Amino acid sequence: MSAHALIVEPFETLAFMRAALVACLALALANGAIGTLLVLRRMSLDGDVLGHAVMPGAAIGFLYAGPSPAWLSLGGLASGLAVAALAGLITSERARRDAGLVTFYLVALSLGVVLVAWRGSNVDVVRVLFGTVLAIDQRALVQIAAVSSVSVLVIAALYRPLAVGAFDPAFLRAVGTRAPYGAAFLALVVLALVANFQAFGTLLAVGPMLLPAAAARCWGLGVAASMALATGLGLAASVAGLLVSYHANLPSGPAIVLAAGLLFGISLAATCSWRRLVPMIRSDA
Amino acid sequence: MVLRVARQARWGGDADGRILLRDVTVRYGRRIALEAVSGEFASGSLTAVVGANGAGKSTLLAAIAGVVRLAGGMVKCAARQRLAHLPQLAAIDLDYPLTVSELITLGGWREFGPFRSPGTALRARVAEVAETVGLAGRLARPIGEISVGELQRALFARLMLQDAAVILLDEPFAAVDAQTMSVLLDQVTRWHQEGRTVIAVLHDLELVQARFPSTLVLARRCVAWGATEVALPAMAA
Repeated sequence: MSAHALIVEPFETLAFMRAALVACLALALANGAIGTLLVLRRMSLDGDVLGHAVMPGAAIGFLYAGPSPAWLSLGGLASGLAVAALAGLITSERARRDAGLVTFYLVALSLGVVLVAWRGSNVDVVRVLFGTVLAIDQRALVQIAAVSSVSVLVIAALYRPLAVGAFDPAFLRAVGTRAPYGAAFLALVVLALVANFQAFGTLLAVGPMLLPAAAARCWGLGVAASMALATGLGLAASVAGLLVSYHANLPSGPAIVLAAGLLFGISLAATCSWRRLVPMIRSDA
Repeated sequence: MVLRVARQARWGGDADGRILLRDVTVRYGRRIALEAVSGEFASGSLTAVVGANGAGKSTLLAAIAGVVRLAGGMVKCAARQRLAHLPQLAAIDLDYPLTVSELITLGGWREFGPFRSPGTALRARVAEVAETVGLAGRLARPIGEISVGELQRALFARLMLQDAAVILLDEPFAAVDAQTMSVLLDQVTRWHQEGRTVIAVLHDLELVQARFPSTLVLARRCVAWGATEVALPAMAA
C-alpha cells in the first residue's frame, strides 16, 4: 500500500473523515493551551471530574431535544459550570476535596447514563459515553471551531495572569490582582470540555486535553513552548488515531486517545533516558 | 544613594508602613489558628515573630496580607497595596517552567501588570538586584535546577523589585546555608534602614536576639510583644 493510500486517501475520499479531522484539529488548538495550564495547575483530576460533570446536563438536553449537538452542548455547559462553581466552593476544605470530587464524578456519570437510557437506546448511551467523532455534522463542526477560537483568543489575552496564577496565586493576590482569573479559567475548561464531549464523549473528553499536555510537559520547556508542543502532539495524535481507526476498523475516539497516550509514553521514556544521558556526556567532556 | 532616595519616593516615604491589629481571630474550620491578637507594628519597625509550630505565625502574616478571612477583629494596614510577602519555600512549585530571571521579574508586576511586557528599565533592575543577591550568573537557569539557597535569594530579589512599604517574610532563612543567610540578613537590615516595615517569622532565637529590635511571641494568642530583650524571654518561659 502506498503512502498516499495509507495517509491521504481516507481523507480524500470520505467526507466524514475530513469532518472528523477538521474537528480534531480545531479541538487540538484549544486543548494544547488549556491542557497545559491544567497540568501546570495540578488540576488534571479536576479536569477529569469536570469532563463527567458535563454528563447530566447533556443528558437533560438529550431528553429535551434528542441527539441534537446544540442541546447536548447547552445542557453540558450548564451542568459543567454548576459543578465547577460547587467545586470552587469546597476547595477550601482540602481534606475532603478528593473524596468530594470522586463523588461528583460517580454521581454525575451515573445520573447521566440513567437519564439517557430512560428515553434513549443503548446506542445513545454509547454515543454520550464515547462520542461520535466520525458523525460530526457541519453544525457541530461550527460549534467546535467557535469554542476553540474563543478559547485560544481568551487564553492569549489572559496569558500572563493565567500563567502566573498557576505558579503562585498568592503572589497575584498580594500584588493586588483581584480579578477572578481562576474562575475564568475553569469556565474555559468547561467550555472546551463540552466541545471535546461532542467528539469523544464524557469518558474520554479530557483525554485529548490532558495527554498531549502531559507529554509536552515531559520536555521541560517554558509555558508558551509547552502549549505549542502540546498542540502539535494533539494534532499528530488526531491524525494517527483517525488513520489507525480507519485502517484497522477500530473506534476512532479511543484510537485518538490511545495515540496521545503513546506519545506521552514516548515523551516520558525519551526524556528520562535523555536526562540520564546528559550528565554522562557532561562528565565525559 | 540616589537610587535609594528614588525608591523611597516611589513607595511614598515611611508614613504609611504602620500595621494595627485589633482582636484578630482566624479559624480554619473549627480550629482556632489565631485568637484575639491586638497590637501595633510601628512604621519602619523590624519585628521577629516567634512561637512553636502551629502557633499561628504564618496565619498572622496571611491576615496582615489580607489573603485569609478573619473570623473576628480587624487589621488596619494603610500600605496593603504596597505590601510584599515572601512565602515559605514549600509553597513554591519547583517543577514549574520558570527561569530565575522570570521569577525575579515578577517583582515588577505592578509596573507591567497582566497585559503588558516588562520594559527594558525593569530588565536592567532585574540584573541589578540579581547581582546584589549573588545570582548574576544564574538568571537563565530554571528554578527547578538551582539550590534551595539560590531559590531563596531569587525570592528576595523579587521582593526587592516589589519595592514595598511592608515586607512579610515567612521563615526566610529556613534550609539556607550560612553564606546565603548572611547575604539575606544584610538585605533585611537594608530594608529596615530604608524605613520599610519588616516582619519575619523565625525559629532561630539567637538570631532574633542579635538582629531584630522587636519581637512578637505567639501561641495562638499574643504572649509578649515589644522590645526583643523584654519580649523574647517569654518564649523560653
